[in-house]
Amino acid sequence: MRIVPWRLARSVPLWLVLASMFVFLLAPIAAIFSASLQREQNFYYTLWPHDVSLVWYLSIPAKYWRALGISLLVAAIAASLTVGLGGLAALALVRGRLIGAATLNAFFRVPLQIPFVVTGVVFLQFYDRAADLGPDLLGSITGLVLAHLFVTLPYGVSAIAVILVRIGPRYEEAAQICGCSRSAAFFRVALPLLKPGVFPGFFYAFIVSFGDVPVAIFLTDENTTTLPVAIFQSLQFDFEPALLALSTVVIVLSVALILAVQKLAGLDMVVPSQRR
Amino acid sequence: MNPGASWGWLIWPPLLVAGLLLVLPQAGFIAMSLHPSLGYGRMGDAWTLVNYTHVLTDPAYLSAIGLTLGLSAAATAIGVVVGCPAAYLLARMHSRLASGFIAMLLATSFVTVVIKVLGLSLVLGREGIANHVLLSLHIVSAPVQLINNDLGVLIGLVQYTLPVQVLLLIGVIQTIPRRLEEAAEINGAHFLSMLRRVIWPLSRPGVVSAALVAFDMDMGAFTSAAMLGGGRVLTLPVLIERTIMIDVDYATGAALSTVLMVIVFALNLAAVPLLRTKRRPA
Repeated sequence: MRIVPWRLARSVPLWLVLASMFVFLLAPIAAIFSASLQREQNFYYTLWPHDVSLVWYLSIPAKYWRALGISLLVAAIAASLTVGLGGLAALALVRGRLIGAATLNAFFRVPLQIPFVVTGVVFLQFYDRAADLGPDLLGSITGLVLAHLFVTLPYGVSAIAVILVRIGPRYEEAAQICGCSRSAAFFRVALPLLKPGVFPGFFYAFIVSFGDVPVAIFLTDENTTTLPVAIFQSLQFDFEPALLALSTVVIVLSVALILAVQKLAGLDMVVPSQRR
Repeated sequence: MNPGASWGWLIWPPLLVAGLLLVLPQAGFIAMSLHPSLGYGRMGDAWTLVNYTHVLTDPAYLSAIGLTLGLSAAATAIGVVVGCPAAYLLARMHSRLASGFIAMLLATSFVTVVIKVLGLSLVLGREGIANHVLLSLHIVSAPVQLINNDLGVLIGLVQYTLPVQVLLLIGVIQTIPRRLEEAAEINGAHFLSMLRRVIWPLSRPGVVSAALVAFDMDMGAFTSAAMLGGGRVLTLPVLIERTIMIDVDYATGAALSTVLMVIVFALNLAAVPLLRTKRRPA
């Protein structure tokens, strides 16, 4: 065919761009992996460690395991609340004939326009003031969960609303015509169909909460330090090589989580929804 | 009977939570920026705009605003220049191959930012892999400073937003039917002129919206700017954190935060006309 040579030729630069992009994006991850296996931590890193050892994996201090536990706990609670409350909001926005639904929709998206660091500062001063009236939320797990919920709720609302619009009420109507009660039609027909919205909503909220530094850095103290904050502080003050090993563990866990969500909800569902 | 009525009340629990978490903290926060700071975290009772005039006239703050805008714009532009060809290739390649690449993109975009930045600091350090490669290829004769400066922050911002941009752009290109490209080809259009006259006009709103998402992320990026700037590159998010945590100056911190939000919001509003598809007269 006449077009074949230039079709091939035109794709060479595209492949070069793609390849260099992946080298750039994967380099930091490869570097962590390689450095975590290096016994001598002298900041001299090559593509492959010169003296391979698992010593850092075996000497991760307990306080970092604790930080990982806190991060996982906060992310799990925040993500559950996100899909729970987000699901309710999505149902009401899509199915309820609400007055001012467009305004309400915009209201739920407001947190997306606020930079994380601002959210952190805002909640810091809020908890500071609220401590005079009631519970001291500063440095508490509850306080961190609430701030993360503020940031992640929009993802829950939009991920579930998209699927609700797509499936429409017709499956439930069919179930009701076949003699199903209204609540059974919802719980046994609609809810399973909502999985492609619930899993990505939960997943995205979990990832955002789990990886957050700029909010948590204001709201945690030495007892509630999350893993990202611990890594951040370690790099700023004194470097702890065991964190390279723990980071590798976290990377492996997140890749496993991504693969699991892909299996459960399909690949295209995990692509972060456009933030507007 | 109104079938929607029974669903409507479900809005109350999420609305109350979202309302409490948005209105109460924000109101106190904006009020805080309107009181004078007495130092050591104490605030005066008088109402004043002095924090804003201070932020908007002090050359140090103005240069921070300029630096944040410049770095965000540069990172977004690199994302568009690299992301468009990459996304085009990914959207048009064999789908099984593409899904492998997309899984890798997802993996890189979902790995915790602070871990990626930790990795970048190993790659970009004085004794890091990047300098190693540059030296052994004789591109440079002495190690280059790639970290703790503007360049390091820029690389960090690209690392942060590029995968998101590419994922969004793949979606944009996938909505353009391949038949349109074939039609242009049959009519004798060269590949580049097909890109310019078929793909670009159809994808422009999507490209702009993906760029805006990345730009917003870059403007608010704290972790990469703080860690790769090494305390020397003061973008607005880094400056806000330092003002609050080190200077304990809540009033200035709040005013800086408001300025950052207003700039981001205004730029997003200004970009709205670019989000519409331009229709050329036939």
